[in-house]
Amino acid sequence: MGNPRFYDFNVHTVPDGKDTVKDVMAFAKHLGFSGFAITNHSNVEEPYLEGSMQDGIDTYKAVEIVVSNPSKLNGLVGKYRKNVDVVAVHGGNEEINRAAVETPAVDILAHPQTSKNGGINHVLAKSASHNNVAIEFNLDSIIKGRGGKRVHTLSFFSKNLELARKYNVSTVLTSNAYNCFDLRAPEEMIALSKLFGMSREEAITSLSDIPESIITKNRNSGIVQGGVEIVNEEIISSDGE
Amino acid sequence: MKILPPTLRNRKRYLAFELISEKEVPRDDLIKEIFSCASSLIGDLGSSECNIRLLSFENSKGIIRCNHNTTDKTRAVLATVSNISGTQAVIHILGISGTVKGATKKYLEEFEVFNPKEQSYLKEYKS
Repeated sequence: MGNPRFYDFNVHTVPDGKDTVKDVMAFAKHLGFSGFAITNHSNVEEPYLEGSMQDGIDTYKAVEIVVSNPSKLNGLVGKYRKNVDVVAVHGGNEEINRAAVETPAVDILAHPQTSKNGGINHVLAKSASHNNVAIEFNLDSIIKGRGGKRVHTLSFFSKNLELARKYNVSTVLTSNAYNCFDLRAPEEMIALSKLFGMSREEAITSLSDIPESIITKNRNSGIVQGGVEIVNEEIISSDGE
Repeated sequence: MKILPPTLRNRKRYLAFELISEKEVPRDDLIKEIFSCASSLIGDLGSSECNIRLLSFENSKGIIRCNHNTTDKTRAVLATVSNISGTQAVIHILGISGTVKGATKKYLEEFEVFNPKEQSYLKEYKS
């Protein structure tokens, strides 16, 4: 087995964050990442930037959709879906979280935790699993939080992880970085994820396999409408004979 | 007092690291920040189990010692270091070894510390 390739799927760059894509690329490459997604918020100007592959590190066009009203989510997802590789939704509100996990075109529900709970319950976890929406664990709240806030984040994360395991929901580990110094090397992210109970294997999957599968899914999708999935490709191909 | 025989000594691990920061950070400030992060994240009990100690720190790279079975906890503590007396910084662990010599030879010699300023040849695009 070769070394896994690591990806950080929540990074903000200029104009949303502080550093340019080039700066972040150099920094992330040095830390050992194979790529990252530029998930600027949809409410800033020019939220998504051209993805590129340069100097051995990939950047993916992505967006983090911010909505105040869940009814507007579907429209915005439709607007961005065709232009970007990764669609994330800015969670943190129970109604938005629910709308996000019920939309199959969404890839990641970012920071679902609210001030009171982890933002995920059994119902949402089931939908997330069914619609293949990944739940994010944004490690910046562990890195930067101190005291009570971090205590809560850690317990919310371990609860979310328990639900994700039970309902087989994909999980992603991200830095939610706004500048270069918010990034952490993959091994450090794995060590941080152990704090809330993730095993090393789960952490590697969340940093490597799941981001890769999101990209492959969106780049090679035979565009199947929402609710329609190809169960057995052989039946389709043999139909033509 | 006589030194403990090798079989009775605590086993240790040596973490070679580089400190990526906006400007150079004094050794004392780094130590202070690491211990403050350790007490905040794992508390007195956890810190005593980890037994973190900064052995050497020069030119933004150095070695941290910890107990052999708490390397993950130590890594997590070091990952929570984000600001050292007003300077943004990241501790990037280059490798773990069982001896100081091994850590120095394998990971620190000839290693160039990453300097974010040198990379930012496109800074002028920032407004």
